[in-house]
Amino acid sequence: MRGFRKVLPWYLFIAPASLMLLTLMAYPLFDTLRLSLFKWGGLGPQTFIGLRNFSKLFGDEIFWRALGNSFIFAIVVPFFTVSIGLFLGVAISRRLRGWQVYRIAFFIPVMMSGVVVATLWANMFEFNHGLFNTVLRSIGLDPLVQNWLGDRNVALISVMLVPIWQSVGFPMIVLLAAIEGIPQDMHDAATMDGVNEWQRIWGLIVPLIKPVLASITMLSIIGAMKVFDIVLVMTKGGPAFSTQVLGYYLFETAFRSGYFGYGSAIAVVMFVVVFAIAYAYVRGVRIESVEY
Amino acid sequence: MAANRLASRSEGSSVGGDRTFGWWAGSSLRPIIYGLLIVGALVQVYPIFFLLMNTLKTDTQILNTPFSLPTGFSMAPFIDVWTGDRTGMFFGRYFFNSVIVLAATLVLMLAISCLCGYAMARGHFPGNGTLHQALLLSLAVPAHALAIPLYFFVGSLGLRNSLFGLTLVYAALGAPFTIILMRAYFMHMPLELEEAARIDGCGRLGVFLRIVMPISRGPIAGMAIININWIWSELFFSLILMNKADVRTLPLAIALYKPAPMTVETVLALQYAAMALATIPVLILFFIFQRQIASGMTMGAFK
Repeated sequence: MRGFRKVLPWYLFIAPASLMLLTLMAYPLFDTLRLSLFKWGGLGPQTFIGLRNFSKLFGDEIFWRALGNSFIFAIVVPFFTVSIGLFLGVAISRRLRGWQVYRIAFFIPVMMSGVVVATLWANMFEFNHGLFNTVLRSIGLDPLVQNWLGDRNVALISVMLVPIWQSVGFPMIVLLAAIEGIPQDMHDAATMDGVNEWQRIWGLIVPLIKPVLASITMLSIIGAMKVFDIVLVMTKGGPAFSTQVLGYYLFETAFRSGYFGYGSAIAVVMFVVVFAIAYAYVRGVRIESVEY
Repeated sequence: MAANRLASRSEGSSVGGDRTFGWWAGSSLRPIIYGLLIVGALVQVYPIFFLLMNTLKTDTQILNTPFSLPTGFSMAPFIDVWTGDRTGMFFGRYFFNSVIVLAATLVLMLAISCLCGYAMARGHFPGNGTLHQALLLSLAVPAHALAIPLYFFVGSLGLRNSLFGLTLVYAALGAPFTIILMRAYFMHMPLELEEAARIDGCGRLGVFLRIVMPISRGPIAGMAIININWIWSELFFSLILMNKADVRTLPLAIALYKPAPMTVETVLALQYAAMALATIPVLILFFIFQRQIASGMTMGAFK
């Protein structure tokens, strides 16, 4: 009894958070798994159909497009944001002239909301009067004029440009902090060894920030996997499903068409994919943190 | 942690000591690198400048002379979208909805997260380790995977189309990350003050409220700052849970705003004004709290 009285206050401390997380995260997660085995229109009875939602997914062409596009997003967007971010982080840490300006300029879009950024870019991509086509026409480059969001061969590239533009500043700021955390004496030692700048970057900076580099890459991949706002605002998954992604297909299937069981199956796939990426990172990629 | 080191390092000093940078200083690559940086910075900033300028231009100017500067300054487009008299979209209202949801989410999320994080850092009780594991796992759960049951659950509580319902969902989504970081912070906080207060007969909650909370104002404010961004921008759950026009949040209203040329003469400027309304507060916040935002975002990635 004494022991219980000792731990009771702690349980009261964690009670509000635990209650909220159980009801608003744990329960919905399990209910998504459960619902993925049912056929349900939102109202009325739920019919148990086993794994039939998943076998239907297997033959669903739009789903494969969505899954494929989500993977393309998750590879292309982090590739550019992390590598450009690394370049910027190194450049800014070397205090190139105007570094304060670059740091602010590249970071501002990170703060903006996805909807605003997407609306802004949708207006700039617009075929008749958008900024890009107006500029191309006015300098006589008419052959380069594109139907940026309306051409199924171009739309995915246009859409992916937007999160790259918006989020390069995020890896930049994180990698910059990691680079600046490298102790001065390691730089001094390298300088005495007479390394050039290229060797300093690849032989000293990059190996030392590897854990942060791995973690920011993983965060960017997961972020890109969950893309939604930009697709909703710019293309609604079109044209001809060329920009369909998992998050938006889930939304359409469940909340527009009312197939909540089928939508749950898409949600399960999304959960498994994101979870697997995070798990792979924790298990394999994560390198022991460097202690200075 | 590197973020702290960043903060303590004098701003002007160069990492690596030497101010002449090998090939960067002399070689032919130097102009290319500066060129890339300057062009990149312009690409990053110009669209935002374009957005702000377009709030003050007529449709003809926006479409035919995109690079021209506005001829004068007028609050009219802002007033139009704020009141919604001519557009039918009451952005003043949506703005306040967003502010209310933001404030309420921060208060609720920080309150439950500090309590929970403190107990996890200081308490010895069965389940503490499991809780920590569960919180770490929950970081890898995409919010989309919760959407369908949440939609029905929030509906069954009668909290669809309610700012409070949206607040609950946001607070739950943001809590795991906040708890983990607050726990880490409390673990590194010295014990002496709390022990002294305990000897003076103060209960656990008393110690927490009177000693721990006041000295943790800094980290709590930091957690608030790094959470503002996603709460202010969140679209998915707002779209699902908020079907009535008068409870829309700002991102939802902007996503749904289709300027109709029939109702007003200048439609594009109004759309840009609505976008500016969502962006300007964030920009102001950014310039005030630049360092805290940077170190907060960094903290997340270092975990």
